[in-house]
Amino acid sequence: MSLTPASDIVGKKPGRGLTGLLLVAIPVLLVCWMVIWPIISAIGRTLWLPNDGGTGRSFSVETYKFFFSDQYSLNNLYVTLWTTGVCAVLLVLICLPIALYLRFAKGRLAAYVQGLAIFPMFVPSIILSYAIIRVLGPNGTVDLLLNSVGLPHIRSPYLTPWGPVIGLVWDNIPLTVLILISGLGAVSNQSIEAARDVGAGRFAVLWHIILPRISNSILVAVSFTVLGIFSSFTLPYVLGPAAPEMMGPFMQRTFRDLNDPTNAITQAVIAFAFCIVFGLFYVRSVAKNRAR
Amino acid sequence: MKRRAFMLSVGGAAAGMVLLPRMAFAEAGKIDWYTSSDQNILDFWTNVVKPKFEAANPGVTLNLVDAGDAAGQTAIGERALAAMQTKTDPQADYFESADWRLPAGAADAGLYVNIKEAGLSNYSRINPLAFDGDYSVPYRGSQVLLAYDTTKLDPANAPKTFADLVTWIKANPGQFIYNRPDKGGSGGNFVRRAILEANGKDLGKFKIDNYTQEAGDAALNPAWEILKDLSGSLFDNGAYTSGNTQSIQLLGQSAITMIPAWSDQAIQAINTGVLPETTGLVQLQDLALPGGFSRSVILSNGVNKDAALKLADFILTEEVQSAVLSELGGFPGVAWDYVSQDLREKYADVIPTTIPTFPGGDWEKAINDGWYRNVAPNVDRAA
Repeated sequence: MSLTPASDIVGKKPGRGLTGLLLVAIPVLLVCWMVIWPIISAIGRTLWLPNDGGTGRSFSVETYKFFFSDQYSLNNLYVTLWTTGVCAVLLVLICLPIALYLRFAKGRLAAYVQGLAIFPMFVPSIILSYAIIRVLGPNGTVDLLLNSVGLPHIRSPYLTPWGPVIGLVWDNIPLTVLILISGLGAVSNQSIEAARDVGAGRFAVLWHIILPRISNSILVAVSFTVLGIFSSFTLPYVLGPAAPEMMGPFMQRTFRDLNDPTNAITQAVIAFAFCIVFGLFYVRSVAKNRAR
Repeated sequence: MKRRAFMLSVGGAAAGMVLLPRMAFAEAGKIDWYTSSDQNILDFWTNVVKPKFEAANPGVTLNLVDAGDAAGQTAIGERALAAMQTKTDPQADYFESADWRLPAGAADAGLYVNIKEAGLSNYSRINPLAFDGDYSVPYRGSQVLLAYDTTKLDPANAPKTFADLVTWIKANPGQFIYNRPDKGGSGGNFVRRAILEANGKDLGKFKIDNYTQEAGDAALNPAWEILKDLSGSLFDNGAYTSGNTQSIQLLGQSAITMIPAWSDQAIQAINTGVLPETTGLVQLQDLALPGGFSRSVILSNGVNKDAALKLADFILTEEVQSAVLSELGGFPGVAWDYVSQDLREKYADVIPTTIPTFPGGDWEKAINDGWYRNVAPNVDRAA
């Protein structure tokens, strides 16, 4: 680095590079300290288990063998994957129309719709859980409304796998809508008008003009929400069934109630492994965007 | 590098440092108090004990902290134990309800004050049945009982024995629910009562140190059969709530007819209107549902140890002990002679004749894990 004025005027500016590195250093250090290092240590601690005699540690895949041979643990993993998959599909189906509407609609109604779509972001999930019990639970508001017009009782989703699905979908609508709207910003009005001019219908415009442009945003939205849902805790804990449980409550219970950190960490490592796959999708799509 | 760029980067780094967690230190005269109990206990301390104690002891304040659950409070205990070894400030003085055996080795290391030798003036008032070693102050008790909707079930027909209860649950499918045994004591002690039923109601069979894999299987497997047999007749073909409060909420919404509930929570819920006036309470007569005393411990390395001892003495006074009955619906930790006669008569239905208690330790782990693996999944919910 040079302190002569010339270096600031001519050619590349080495000072700017250093500034960038300094600015990014704190987040990178925090990520290394609080995310990367715990992952490495977790993998180490579940693969090098203490010996029976209490002296030293040796390599063993016993805890992983137990997880993948234990039907109870596998059921928990399946229900987590099922919940995550169902939520991701529902989120795209619900949020894409909202995002399309908000991209193309103007006026006061659109502002209200946007406000409603972003609202769940400001509701803590514990409050949401109890509200869902009140509204969708047995003898809840929905039941009362249906009864008052003479319709029969519905079977409440509370304490079934659908309880967390409803809560998680509602909770993740704002993030998904925001990402999709920002993706739709890349679709220019001209390209749509051009397509209409040559006689494309609404569906053709969506399929051939809009979707190809925002496929990347959909991928980003899905990988973001999937990462959050896979590791969610409060909603499945309060609204879900006792068994099978999602990985979040299962890990917490193994760690704290059963006092079994080794198996809890094993479950966590298996959860990382699944999340890394979704994380890679996200990284790949960001990298592809940058390369353009 | 330009001065502006340098200022920017240094400023950014400084801003980052501000966001890092800051060190905290305990304050003299402020008792750091932790609880692992439910919200009603925290409310009781916030609204009753704290103002009374602070008025009686000028200059001393209470910092009431919710540790979440027993494991959360044990983690604070572990931090205090580590602080003891490094002779630093544990930032904790008082645990509202704790097992002095946890964390392991803490009592031997001298983490908890020996209450018997601490010279509390009210120590002799404590109910002799309530003691559990010398390291804790029993100050309130609670027991699980059955809460039910008297508009759907005539009090005359309420079950009086466990066998009656099983018959009633099966005759009225979908009208009973209990919570997962590790998520709250009402369901936990219902499960323990079923375990006692499967073992000839023999309390002596279960001790804190006699758990072995074989003994556990022999004692618990028959209980899992009883509970599995019940599951199809529970609410929604075998649903289990995730806590004491959620069970009360379902009873309040009239979705079910009967739940096991803590006596103190049920009485408070009726008083505050969460449960309707028409809620009935009944205890099994052949062997009561288990319960127990809550015992406070004091940390010997806390900055405010002396004030904490004063607090322990204070909660055994007649003023607070009567409030335990009238405000909390629990039963007092002191012998009944130290509570006024009219309160004794008014709360006759929560004065227990027997309080079966069930040991924790390895039994607790075996019960929690066994229930999740054996009882919870084996239900066809769609049927």
